[in-house]
Parts: sequence; C-alpha cells; structure tokens
Amino acid sequence: MQIPQDLIETATLKLKSVQSEAEFFQLRSQYLGKKSFIISAFSKLRDLDPQSKASAAKELNILKSKLTKLFEDSLASIESIGEHDQLDVTLPADPYLIGSEHPITKISQKVIDYFIPLNYQIFSGNEIETDFYNFEALNFPENHPARQMHDTFYLNSNSKSEYLLRTHTSNTQIHSMLKEDMPLYMLSPGRVYRCDSDTTHLPMFTQIEGLVVDEDVTFGDLKGIIIDFLENFFNEKMEVRFRPSYFPFTEPSAEVDIKFGNQGWLEILGCGMVHPNVLKGCNVDTKKYRGFAFGMGIERLAMLYYGVSDIRDFYSSNLDFLNQFPS
Amino acid sequence: MKVQYSYLKNFLKTNLSQLKLADIFTQVGFECEIEGSLIEFDITPNRGDALSLRGLEREFLAYQSKKSFKNLKIFSLDSQKNKSIINKVDDAGCGNYHLLLIKDLRKIKQLDSKKRNFLINAGVPLIHPLVDLGNYVMFEMGAPMHVFDLEKLSLPINVVFPSSNKTSLRVIGGDIKDIQPSSLTIQDQSGIQAIAGIIGAEESSVSKETKNIAVEAAFFKPNKIVNQARKYGLATDASHRFERGVDPEIQKLAIERYLFLLNEIAEYDSSELYAAQTKANKKKKVKLNIERFNKFSGINLKPNQVIKILKSLGFNSTSKDTSNLLFDIPSHRFDISLEEDLYEELLRCYGYDNIPISKPKPGPILASKPKTALADLRAAFVYSGFKELMHMPFVSNKSFESLNSNSWTPAQLKNPINEHEPLLRGSLFKSLFSAVNINVKKGYIAIKAFEVGNVFFKSKSSFKQELHLSGIIYHHETPTSWSNRKFSYDFYSLKAEMLNLLKTAGVQEFHFKQTSSCTPFNKNALEIFEGKTKIGVFGEVDLTLTEKLIKKPAFGFEIYPEKISFLAKQNKMKSTSKFPLSAKDMNIIVNKSHTYSEIENTLTKGKIRHLSSFNLVNTYEGKDIEAGFISMTLRFIFQSNTKSLTDSEINDSMKKAFQLLERGLKAKIRS
Repeated sequence: MQIPQDLIETATLKLKSVQSEAEFFQLRSQYLGKKSFIISAFSKLRDLDPQSKASAAKELNILKSKLTKLFEDSLASIESIGEHDQLDVTLPADPYLIGSEHPITKISQKVIDYFIPLNYQIFSGNEIETDFYNFEALNFPENHPARQMHDTFYLNSNSKSEYLLRTHTSNTQIHSMLKEDMPLYMLSPGRVYRCDSDTTHLPMFTQIEGLVVDEDVTFGDLKGIIIDFLENFFNEKMEVRFRPSYFPFTEPSAEVDIKFGNQGWLEILGCGMVHPNVLKGCNVDTKKYRGFAFGMGIERLAMLYYGVSDIRDFYSSNLDFLNQFPS
Repeated sequence: MKVQYSYLKNFLKTNLSQLKLADIFTQVGFECEIEGSLIEFDITPNRGDALSLRGLEREFLAYQSKKSFKNLKIFSLDSQKNKSIINKVDDAGCGNYHLLLIKDLRKIKQLDSKKRNFLINAGVPLIHPLVDLGNYVMFEMGAPMHVFDLEKLSLPINVVFPSSNKTSLRVIGGDIKDIQPSSLTIQDQSGIQAIAGIIGAEESSVSKETKNIAVEAAFFKPNKIVNQARKYGLATDASHRFERGVDPEIQKLAIERYLFLLNEIAEYDSSELYAAQTKANKKKKVKLNIERFNKFSGINLKPNQVIKILKSLGFNSTSKDTSNLLFDIPSHRFDISLEEDLYEELLRCYGYDNIPISKPKPGPILASKPKTALADLRAAFVYSGFKELMHMPFVSNKSFESLNSNSWTPAQLKNPINEHEPLLRGSLFKSLFSAVNINVKKGYIAIKAFEVGNVFFKSKSSFKQELHLSGIIYHHETPTSWSNRKFSYDFYSLKAEMLNLLKTAGVQEFHFKQTSSCTPFNKNALEIFEGKTKIGVFGEVDLTLTEKLIKKPAFGFEIYPEKISFLAKQNKMKSTSKFPLSAKDMNIIVNKSHTYSEIENTLTKGKIRHLSSFNLVNTYEGKDIEAGFISMTLRFIFQSNTKSLTDSEINDSMKKAFQLLERGLKAKIRS
C-alpha cells in the first residue's frame, strides 16, 4: 500500500485558507470522513499480507492521529473566527447615495395603483400625434374655439397630416377604442404639451386620463369612482364638488373641486360622459355602450400632495429639492 | 368676462351676496372668481350665449326655477331692404346684416355714470358716447355692434370676402393690417371699412365731429370668425363673442335697444333701419327619451320634472308622447343639437352634486400582458442610489447635432417657446449634463442620476419616438470620511454597476460588445446586446460633447427599455453540487494586444473538464515583465456534480487551460 507523504502538508495548507466552520467540516470529512483516503485505506488492509498489514496499519494510525490532532487544533482557531474586538459601531457609515424616484413618477404610480386592482389597462401612447387623434376624433371640429384653449405646438412636416405635440393624453383613448375590444377600462398616463409658460403653467406636464366604455355606465358611476379615488389618494374623507364645464369630447362635462386644507375649493380634475360623436367615430356601438372619461394633471396633484408651491421645481434638476422625496 | 357685482345685482334684481352669486353661477357651470368688487366669469367656449347680462340672467332665473325674464325696453322699428344701402351679403359668412342710419345727431351726452363704470370695470375703454353705447348693448344683450361715421361711408355696403389678395387697412387705433383673404369684410364703395366681427377702419370711425352714424348689428358665422382675430394680433370683445357664437336672431332687437338708449343721451332727426339676409332660421328640435336619460344619469326623473327643468331654460316641449319628448331649441342655444346636450342641461339644473353615487365597478379580468422592463429597471436604479430627474424635451440645434448618434433628422417645432430651442431632443444627455453642472455648482461631489423619457426624430413624412433610460455618474473627490478608504468611480465600477442593475432588474442573457465610440461616450464604451438586439450602451462620457457643462470625468449609460424582451422566464433548475470545490491560480504572461475577452473566449470555448468558473484576480506590469506584456493571475474553480475531484484531475484540467492559452494567445507561465 502506498501512503501519500504530503497528506499532512496539504491538509495544513488547505486549513489555512478555511474561512468558515462549514468549510472546515467539509475539509475534515475529506481527510477523515468515511470516503477519505485514511478510512478507505484501513478497510483495504485486509487484502495485504500480514507483514505489510502490520506496518501499513501502524503508519496509517500515526497519520490518522496526526490528522485528527491537526483538525482539532485548527477547530479552535476556526471557532474564534467572528470573535473580534468591539468596534465603535456608532462611527459614521461609509459614504453612500440615496436613490429615489421623481415625485411625478411617484404620484403617477400612486394614481395607477388605485386603478390596477379595478382591471384598468395602461396605455401610454404617442407624444407626437396627428391633428386627427388629438382634436378631430375627439370632437374638436376644425376652427373650434376649444382648439384655442390649447395653444398647441405644431411640427414642421412635409406630410399631408398636421403633426403636433399632444395637448392631452386623450389621443390614446382614440387609439385604444379603435384597437381594443369593448368593454374597455383604461388609463393613459403620459406627457402632454401646451405652448404656455409661467409660474403656474409649464410647456410640458404630465397627465393621467381614464376611460371606461361599458354597458349601462352612468354619471353616478363616474362620480363614484372619482370620489373613491380621491379619498384613496389623499387617504381621508374628502369634500368633493362636481360642477358643469365643457370639454368637446364629453357631454355632459364636469370639473371636480375638492376642499383641501383651508384653501377653499380647488379644481382637481375634469371628467364627463364620453361624447357620442367620439364613440361613433371609434366604431363603438352607442346603442349598447356608453362611456365616461376623466383626466388629471399630475403636477397639480403632486403640488397639493407634497405642498410644492412652484411647479417649475419639478423640472429643475435641483438635488436639494429632490432629496426631500425619499423612495 | 368681468362684471361689477353691484351692477349685476341690480340687473338680476337680487339681494344675494357677491360670494353667494359667484357660487350659484359656478354651480351651474360658469366658474367665477371674485376680484374686489367684480365677479369674473370664465365662460366655456360652447356658451357664447352667456357672455352678456341677459345670458347670465337666463341662467340665474333657471337656477331659481323662475319663469323667463321681462323684456328690455326698446324703440321698435320696421326694417327695410334697399340695395342702395346694403347691396350684397355673402351668406357663407353672414347670417343677417342690419344697419341703422341715424342723422343729425346733437346734444350728445355721456352714458350715465353707472353704465360708464360698468364698461370700465368690464375692461372696455370709453371712446365716444355713441361707441360706448354700442359696447354697452353688446354686454347687455350679447350682440356685438359697430358704429360707423355715416358721412365717411360711401354706400351701399357689401359684406364679402376680399377679392384682391393685397389689401391693407388702417384699423381703429392706427395700426395697419394686411387683410387676409379668409377674412369676411365690410366694404363700401371706397374699400374695406371693417374686418367683420373683429374691428373697424380708423377712417370711418366715429369722432367728435360725427353727426350721422350707421350702427351695424350682424350675425357673422363663428366658423368664419374663429382664428381670424389672431391673424391680426387682435382679440376684441366682438371677435371673442362671434367666434364662440352669438344668438342669430337678436340683431334687430339689439338695434332697437340701442335706439331706445340713444334717446337718453342724444337728440337726432331721423332713424332708418335697413336689413339684408334676414331669412328666418329653421327652428331646431331635439328629442329626449326619458328612460334613456335615467339610465344614462343614474337618477330617476319623471316626464313632468324633465319638462319643467328644460322649460326654465327656454326649451319648450310640444310633444304629447311622454316617453319621447321633443323640445324646441331657442335660437340663443346654438350649442344644443343632440339628446346628450339636453341630458347635460337637465343634470346641470338638477345639480351634479345631487346625482347619487355608485360604488366603483371593476373592469373585466384580462389575460395579463407581458411585463415591460421599465418598472424593474427604474426600481433597480433607485435602489442603486440613482436620483430620477425629469426635464423639458426642447433642445438647440447644436445640442441635437452634438449628441446625434444615429444620424437622425430632428423633429422641429413650428412655434417653439424659446427660439433657441426649436428641436425635440434626440438624446436625454443634454439635460443630464446640465443637471450635473447645476448640482456641482451647488457643492455636490457625488451625483448619480437618471431620466426616463422619449426622444424624437423625423422619419420620412412622419415622426418616431423612442423610450430611453439614460443616466450619468459623476463621482469625484472622496467625501470626507473618518475611515481612509477611497471611493473612486471608474469604467470598471460602471461595468459592475451595469451588470448588477441589469441582472437585478431581471434582464436575462445579455452580453457586452466593444465599440469604437458611441455618442456621447469616448472609446471606453461597451454596447449591451440581448441576442442580436442592441438594448443599450454605457461608457465614459466624451467631455467635449458636454458644451463645457462637465469638466471632470463622468460616466453614463443609455438603455432602451422597449427593446428588451422581458419574458422573465425561469430557467430549469440545475442541481447544485454536494462535492467540494477547489481553487487553483495560474500566473500567465500575455502580449497586451490581447484583450481579456479573448482569454475568456479561449477558455470558455475550450470545454475544460470540471471547470465551474474562472476569474481574473490580479494583473501586473512593470519590473520583471517585458514591455508590451502583462502578467495576469487567473483563478480557476473546479467542481464536479458527481464526485470529489482528485488532484490529478484538477491538474489535468489546469494543463488543458494553459495549453489553450498558449496555443491561442501565446501565453507563457510566469515563473
């Protein structure tokens, strides 16, 4: 029987790099376990002639006891891994950066989170749109005064269609109604543009619109979901007021005001029953289906929710401002 | 429209407070704001009929369920047709045209002080009593009027679109306007005397010397007036009303009211009324099905309730069928043409707040759609210390071009807010560079930021948008720390970060490809591929492209979330080995012309037995290493799933590894 001479040496070397108890026991089993060289060598002794058997047995026994001692000794030092001097754990941490989502992302998500359990689908749509989807299909006839309400950015194009930056995310409703099956429950979040800039208006802002087209939809359903959403969003019972207004794509139309803090009535969103011309234009069977729609400006919601006074702060890249919105 | 509260109160014959009155009008759909002694009405564009005291009075009385109002006092006149006074009226633009000729005016006094104050508070300057009176009647009844100096007109009048293209007109106030061919004009025998519904000519306007006047009241069609005033840089009280629509049957009455009030402020010899195009308009009728209305609204009104509410607004029903009612639409409600329009009127008067609320109903459950990568990527970046930023998408020509990595044709605005930024961004980096600049100036020394947004470009005759998630890392002077550890950020930190982020976000099976340069990065950049699709790029920012906004090294990335096929598939589980692993190091020397990826490929393709992984643990150049060569320490990890490996098996594999490197890359063992 050939007994390897470097068994102790390699074991010593390997023990030095052991970092944990698990590794230690794995190594011990490798050298002293059932399948180890030593133990299997003992079982092979019976095949030897008596003389070789005696000397091999002696040699193996010495080796085994040396290895056993080696592992016993190093177990003590393994067990002391993890025992360190007491650190001053109150010293400051290494430098670190805190990430966070933009407040507009957070508020958009908060709105979306309310509607997802109600099975609303999310469609974002195109920011560059044709006049047809932004105005015409939404019942804004050419030259309609409502087109002046939206001072629209138009694009230079050599196409027959007039291209523009969408003034609302309602364009997505048209695309979806033309494409999806009814009934349709959807939300269209996204950026919209108006040729307008001052302390309360930005040329770009974020909007979320909702659309429901289903059988037997009523104005009472619209009111119900708006009030429930607002109470969920602000997490309190709200005083909510619906008052008549005008949007070309809804009839009747309403503005929704809330009492917020001690600021009196504040306009928070617009809504209404989908205008039959819009439904018809999207090939929706108006004898069977009716719809309601609502839309809100996310910056406005965010300003109320966080108490931000200047809308421009959201787009200022100012980390002092953004650091106040931890994730 | 601004209205003095005290005047309105008297007009409406009410004692309600300013606040209460404003509240009532807001509730019926005319949003009000109180400004000192004034109430400002925000009249929606469909309700041009309410842009007058009479219009407001109608709404107020309907709100109180009172019957219609008393008529205003007028001076009745019969109108005549006479081609020598009004010759031609283009009915494409004009529904009716009335001209009241008054001669030998004298003893002209100012309007009474109440009317004058009313006009001043409404923002209408006082010009001349005869003009002021026209303005007053417009505010009272909603019919815009224009007063010409009759002596300066050479009759007859034609109401036509201009025949020649190049005509200019000195308008009231002195400005000269080039008349647009799409503008309806009032012409006499000498030329244009007014742009219909917008403004009159200076030449034929009323002056101190005026003795004879022609008072115009006409119905100009909204579609011919809308957007016209803007073309001249004008917005007049008349154009505001005409483009929204005025009652097409009120003009004669307005003239008669003017004449009645004129008697209070002047004496004159004669008054004659001429009219053209006075064909009566067809009465509009709209039907209403009670059952449909109740289903639509969620309330339950009886036919008599519906009739009563609509009657208070001037809609009379003549039908006997109580389930299908037919209503006559009064001429001032040109906004009503559909059944749903009547629903709105009913609900408005019933009170939106009185409509019962239903519990939110969920939509049908749909098969879940494939998840997109964006939400998970965004979350991964946030947890990795990145701040999300948002910016406007407008950029200068220079910024677009310097960051234009795809040779895109920019999307250009016809009417930019800032003439220096006429394009839509083709990259998110310009804003990110600015963000670093702003915050470095504020004293920040470590910035990690990202933005998610669309970039835009022109493609043939249309436009395309592409969603980008771009980020920047600017990490410099070590922040003061009691421990002396250095925190520096270099290309390899970025590489680790990208691996970490993409894997954490669940992007599977991607690889990096070396790229010579990819805007806005210098040659230290890698492209990210998922299969054959490029899903992003990252690298060291080329500072020459930052328009001097960043002066020290920065790193960045651009990821295209929509291009990531995000199936989040679960690979079949592999059983893990129960057997020990062994680590062996190998020191090799290779020519520096070989990249590490060549070493990786050589070893990976070599199918080395039992090799579970390998890694580069050290590099060394300098003393003892020939110039142009580099020493690398590779650590190999061996493990088998079925047994403990013997030393000789491991040695065989190490030998194979070296042979591969030696053959493929002429590597040598460093002794």
